[in-house]
This record gives sequence, C-alpha cells and structure tokens, in this order.
Amino acid sequence: MRRPTTALQARDTGSDRRKRFKLYMHKYWTLYALLALPITYFIIFKYIPMTYIQIAFKRYSIIQSPWKMPLANNHGWQYFIQAFRTPDFLRALRNTFMLNFLDLVMGFPAPIILALLLNELPFKGFKRVTQTVAYMPHFLSWIIISGLARQLFAPTSGLVNIVIQRLGGNPIPFLNKPVHWVATYVLLGVWQSMGWNTIIYLAAITAINPELYEAADIDGAGRLQKIWYVTLPSIKGTIIVLLILALGNILGGGFDRPYTLGNPLVRNVSEVIPTFVYSWGIKGLQFSLTTAVGLFQSVVGVFFLLGADFLAKRAGERGIV
Amino acid sequence: MKRLLVLLTVLALLLPLSLFAQGAKEATTVAELGPDGRFTTTRKITVEVFDRGVDDGRTPAENNVWTAWIKAEVLKKYNIDVTFVPVPRWTETDAINNLLAAGDAPDVCYTYSYPTVQQYAAMGGVTDLAPYVEQYKHLLPNLFNLLEEINVYNNLDPKTGTLWALEARQFYPHRNSVFVREDWLKKLGLAAPTTHAEFEAMLKAFKDNAQLLLGADASKMIPMSISVDIGWMGDPLTTSFVPEGLSDELLWALGYDDRRIMWPGYKDGIRLLNKWYNLGYIWKDFPLYPFGDQTYHDNLVRAGFVGAFMHNWDYPYRAGGIDIQTTLAQTGGSFIAVDPFPNDAGLYRKYLPSTTGDRKIFFPNTNKEPLASLLYLEWLSTLENRKYLQIGPVGVTHKVLDSGAIQIIPAAVPEWIQNSADNIDYTMVINGKDMGSAQLNGLSLGLGYSGVDPRYLEESYRIEQNDGRIVKNFTVGTLEAQVGLDNVLRDKRNDFLVRAVVAPTAQFDAVYDAGWNDYLATGGRAIIRERLARYEEIFGVKIQLPAGYVL
Repeated sequence: MRRPTTALQARDTGSDRRKRFKLYMHKYWTLYALLALPITYFIIFKYIPMTYIQIAFKRYSIIQSPWKMPLANNHGWQYFIQAFRTPDFLRALRNTFMLNFLDLVMGFPAPIILALLLNELPFKGFKRVTQTVAYMPHFLSWIIISGLARQLFAPTSGLVNIVIQRLGGNPIPFLNKPVHWVATYVLLGVWQSMGWNTIIYLAAITAINPELYEAADIDGAGRLQKIWYVTLPSIKGTIIVLLILALGNILGGGFDRPYTLGNPLVRNVSEVIPTFVYSWGIKGLQFSLTTAVGLFQSVVGVFFLLGADFLAKRAGERGIV
Repeated sequence: MKRLLVLLTVLALLLPLSLFAQGAKEATTVAELGPDGRFTTTRKITVEVFDRGVDDGRTPAENNVWTAWIKAEVLKKYNIDVTFVPVPRWTETDAINNLLAAGDAPDVCYTYSYPTVQQYAAMGGVTDLAPYVEQYKHLLPNLFNLLEEINVYNNLDPKTGTLWALEARQFYPHRNSVFVREDWLKKLGLAAPTTHAEFEAMLKAFKDNAQLLLGADASKMIPMSISVDIGWMGDPLTTSFVPEGLSDELLWALGYDDRRIMWPGYKDGIRLLNKWYNLGYIWKDFPLYPFGDQTYHDNLVRAGFVGAFMHNWDYPYRAGGIDIQTTLAQTGGSFIAVDPFPNDAGLYRKYLPSTTGDRKIFFPNTNKEPLASLLYLEWLSTLENRKYLQIGPVGVTHKVLDSGAIQIIPAAVPEWIQNSADNIDYTMVINGKDMGSAQLNGLSLGLGYSGVDPRYLEESYRIEQNDGRIVKNFTVGTLEAQVGLDNVLRDKRNDFLVRAVVAPTAQFDAVYDAGWNDYLATGGRAIIRERLARYEEIFGVKIQLPAGYVL
C-alpha cells in the first residue's frame, strides 16, 4: 500500500523499511528457507545449463568450455543456416508439426470427453474401476508399447492381421505404410495418455458447486443440457490453461514414441526433431548443429505459447503468463 | 522447534550439493614401475567389454569367471586393478558415442568404427598413442609381436604423425557365408545350389513345399530371412555382382562403407533381393525389427521356420545364446554353408578383410593411465594369456587330442560359458583362435564349437576362403569428409536398402536411386571425392572410376 510521503517520513524511510523488512523476515524466514530448495534446483538444473545454448553459435570442442569455443562462421549463424539447408531437418520439422498437430486434434478432446462420460456414471464402483483401467497405459513405456504394437500389427505375424486374414480380409499395413503408420501412431498416443489426462478434468469437475446442478434440475435441464451449460463452462478455465500448454509444445514432444514406433519404411513421416537431434547430434556428434535445432524448437514453442496466451486473454479468459 | 526442523531439513538437502562441488578431483602421479616390472602403487583402469546380452543375462559380461581371472592375473603381474565396463555389442557405436560424449568412456576402448575414433580425435577427445608407443615399445614385446608393425602403425597419420588407434589383429580373414537347411535339401532331393538361379529355385522349392517341411506350421514358412542390416545379411549376394578385376585402389576409394554399398554392381544385388521379396521368398516383416536387434530373427531361425540366411561364417554354430545349430539338432535340423553366387567371371569371389580389418583400440583423453593401459594390452597379447581366454582351463572347457588339436567341450559348469566365440570380447587384440602354431590352428579350427560337428565349420571356412581376395588398406591420414556422418550414413543406408527391397518391382529403380542420391548428397559423394584426392596427393597416381559410375 502506498502511503502519502511527508518530508519527515521521507527522511527516515530507509531505516524504516529496513526495520519492517527485518520484522517480516523474522516472521517468515522459514518460508524463504524452504523456497531455497526449488530455487537451487532451478538454478543448477535449468539456468546454468542454459548458458550452454551458446554452443549453437560456436564450433564445438569436447575439451573446451563453451565460453572458449571459437565462434562459428556467418557471425555464429552457420549451424542455423546449415540446418535449414539440410533436407532431413526440414522433413523432421514438417513431421513434428504434423504429428503434434494431429495429436492435439485427436488427443486433446479425448480426455475431456472421457472425463464427462466418467462423471455421468451412476455406479461409483464401476467408475473407479474404469478410471483405473483407463490410466494404466500411462505407466507403460513406449518401448513396451512398441513391442506390443509389433506383436499385434505386424503385416504377417501380427495377431490383428492374422485374425483379419482368417476372416477373409487383406492384412492392413498398420506399421509399414506411412498413412497407416501415422494413424496408428496417433491412436496409440490417445490410448496411452487419455486416461491419465482425465484426472485433472475430473478434479475440476469435482470442484463444481452442486447447487448449480440442483438449480439446473429445477429449471428442467436434461443430462446433455447440464453437461453443456454447467459442466463444460465450469471447467473452461482448466481446458484453456491445458490448451495453452499443449500449444507451447507444438514443436516439442517426446523422443521415445516416434523413435521406437518408427521403422525404415515410414522414416519419411516418423523422423521428428527429437530423433533428428539424436541421430545427427548424439550419434553423429554434431552438437552445434543440433543445439541450434533445439534452440529453434524452443523459440518457436515460446512464440506459440505466448500467442495462445494472448488469444485466450483476448477472449476474456485467464492466461498463464 | 519447528523452525529448527525446517533449517535442518534445508541444510541436509543442500549439503550434498557442496560435496559434489568438492569431489571429482584426484591427483595423478607419474607412472612408476618397480624392478619387478610391477607398478609400485596399484593403478586402476577401466576396460570396455562387449555385452551380447546372452544367456539371459545370467553371466554378466563384466563380472564372471573370465573377468575374475583377468583381474587377478593382471593385478599379480603388473599391480593394475582392472574394472570392466559393459557396452551393448549390437549398438556399440551408439553406446560408445554416448559414453565418450558424457566423458564416461572406459580407459581402454575398442570399436569396429574408425570414424567414431576419428570424430572424437578431431575434437581432442582421444589420446595420441604415437609418443607412448615409442616411449614404451621396450615394455611391449608381445603386443608388437602379435599385432606386428603393420597393425600398430596402420592408422599413423603420414602428415601429422598422430596415432589415434591400434588395429587389432584379424587372425583369419573372415566374412559371411550363405547357410541353408541341410535337412530340407535332403528331404526335397535338392543338391547344394551353385548359381543364383539354382538358389532361387531352392527358395521356391522351400516355399512350395512348406506343408511337407513344416507341417502344421506351414503358414510360418520363411524361405530366406534377412534383417534391416541388409548390407550385412545380403553381403555374399551383393558382392557377387561386383565386377571382377577392380583394382585394390578403387575398392579402397569406394570402401568407406563396410557393407560396400559404394562398390559397382551393388544395386543389382539389391535388385535380386527385391525380386525375391516380391515373390514371397523373403521374410515379410523384417523391416519392423530395429537395427541391432537380432533376437526376433534368431528366434525364427531357431524355431526352424527359416530355410536360408547369410551371416558371419560361423554364426549358426556359435554358442552363448545364439545356439542355432544345437537347437535345431534336437529336431534333426541343421544349417550348412553353400557357395551359390558366382560373379561375372564365374569366380566365387569373396572380398576378405586384411589383418587390419578388425577392431580399433583407443584410449579416450580421460585416460590417466596410458602406461597401465598399454601394459594391459601387452598382457592380453601374451600367448599363454590369450590362449587361456580362448580355450579356458584344460579338462573344464577343452581337451587336448592325441594330435595336439584342441577340442572345445561343452562347459561342465555353466559359469564357464563364453559370451562370445573364443572370448573375442575379452581378447580385444586378436580376433580368431590362435594356438601358437599354424599346424595346431588348422587341426583345431572345427573343434572350437561345442556340440557342433566340425565338418560344418570346415565347410563354411573352405567356402568362405574359396576364390577369396584380401582387400588392401591404404593409409592417407585423416579424412575430413566422413567426420560426423558415420551413424547418419549408416542409418540412411539401412533405411533406403530396406525400402528398395520391399518396393514393388516396377518402382525399384526409382526408390533405390532416390535413396542412393540422398546418401551421396548427405556426404557419400564428398567422402569418395576426398579419398580420390587424398590418394592422388599421397601416392601421386589418379584412381579412375569405372565407366558409368556417376558421382
């Protein structure tokens, strides 16, 4: 709170503030001491490593500190130029956008719908069992899922295709034709994460004031109307925050899913930025090039995040920044 | 009280951090050998060992009776404490890359990939061995005796004088053989195929007679299997399309890729695989199983569904988890090597590696004990030590026949199982069994595989050496164009070969050419051009590319 300043007060403001600060710290220092832990974590594991971003602008050497490495050509932009001249990078960029966009379209609404369905279930026991079963796949690593996928979807030895053939159909190339592979990739992603992501929506739904439903009942609202006019508007804030976060990740995404599910026949659509960074950077030792790619990826991600946040605020919602 | 608790918790959590900051600094002392040739203080070194994940991991590669014996002996002889670091065999370049990048690589490393060594050397991550080898030569008589100057100095840069890696000795020049089901041939009344056409007819016969050969499992018939590593598992076929009479220089200049994808004629070999794939002779699902994962493939072979495949000359006879021959023997099956692919001159040409074609031994620059590491190699090179590692103790893992030949016997105790044939993963300086004399080696060749009739190995060896030609190696110093591309190009090669093999026949040329052009553009072209230029620079002679070879 701002207080009117008089000449007298202005003279001893300094010591006054110090005194108040002391009193404040005396009262609350334990909170700050606890805060020291996460702050130390962020400094050591997030901010200090960030100084290594400069590798993107320097010629990498294994024995020099990044501060001493020589600047790359073209005023340090050599590797950015090289990346955009590499067809493999452009392909990875396109695929990252494509797969993440499809993931967003298919994967974002799925948990909301599932949460609404679960919420409508009258038998609590059944709801709990369903919920638990639905989020089990979240705990499977992609290595295991891709192993299962091969056993199920391989063209001649996969269980699903064996059944299809026994029924007189032709085997479906789930994993070995690019378009089919993309569908398999997206649907496996939905299957794996849908249940887990409902948790946060279910929590938001629980927080809705029951009086709203009672009022809707009195007004004669049906089930669908209650979902549409009460439940959804009440969790809109949650949905928007999660959407903003998801958009910030449009160029991100995991490494293990495309890497383990991919194979030589679909490399054209399965190579994404993380796998490109792995094969060119870590396996190919082109650390500067791939740091540049990683930096580019982060910057684009930040723009998407800020853009989504801006649009959300324009639409009258609370943003996250 | 509560506040005190908070303070203590925070301090307790922050304290380990300050310890981290303090640690990791250890003084190193100057190498010092006592009069008995031992270090006066115990030296610690770490040594890489391939981990093949065999035996379901019951005998870890880094800790078993063999490593225990090595550790005890080396400690006794030199006062060096050895610790083994396992590196997965089939993804070794990836794994060693990761270890090097993290600064965690073992003191003594080996790899099949010289470009990997070179890449790290270019960044200053590898110890230059030249001064150490000179300084300590008098302490390393067995090492020099085994490797000979040609392997020790093979990688010596003619310009800069640096030596990034020693070449291990390839004792026998081995490459791949073609294996077919001997019992299936017999059942169908077929002779061993001796031409491409006969081989194809054999595959057709396998497919057509699936009911007879596999009964209830007929639908699982795989006339020929292959993996994503087509360059390796198609090698005898593809090399048969390389025209006869190419010069050593040309083969070297186009020899960057160890699968020889740059050699003339290669495409025609892949074209034939494409034909067979589309005829249904080749395992349909092979593209789905990742590079370096042989498990699923080998399971199919062991289950008896596979009629033919190409692999290392002794692959089906190896023990330690592969066990193809011994597993099939239980149901009367067996694989035998055949020689079906003549080249344009009618010769059954095999391009065999020179003695320098094996693993490269190098020390990362994090190695603080170069002398101890070299002495470890010296110890490994001593005949009695490497012989013991290859054949184990008498009466337990081998017996000596009247002729003096060494016969390997099935391990009486499971602990003595070797994770790799002849324990090559421990004897990094040598690949191939050496009993000390040529005569003894010849007698023992087929007796090295417990539970396998020696005639199979003798046949595979005979065929492999039939019309064999050793490919010469040329040393021209550091080649810049290939730095950083080893894994990228390898993955590209595998990817496009797989796509070409499974393409519809009408699209084969388009798919192959697109992949090959991408391979050239990514670095293949620059690599070939640099080799041509460097050769001319060093030897003063220009290498002519064959007519029609488009760069």
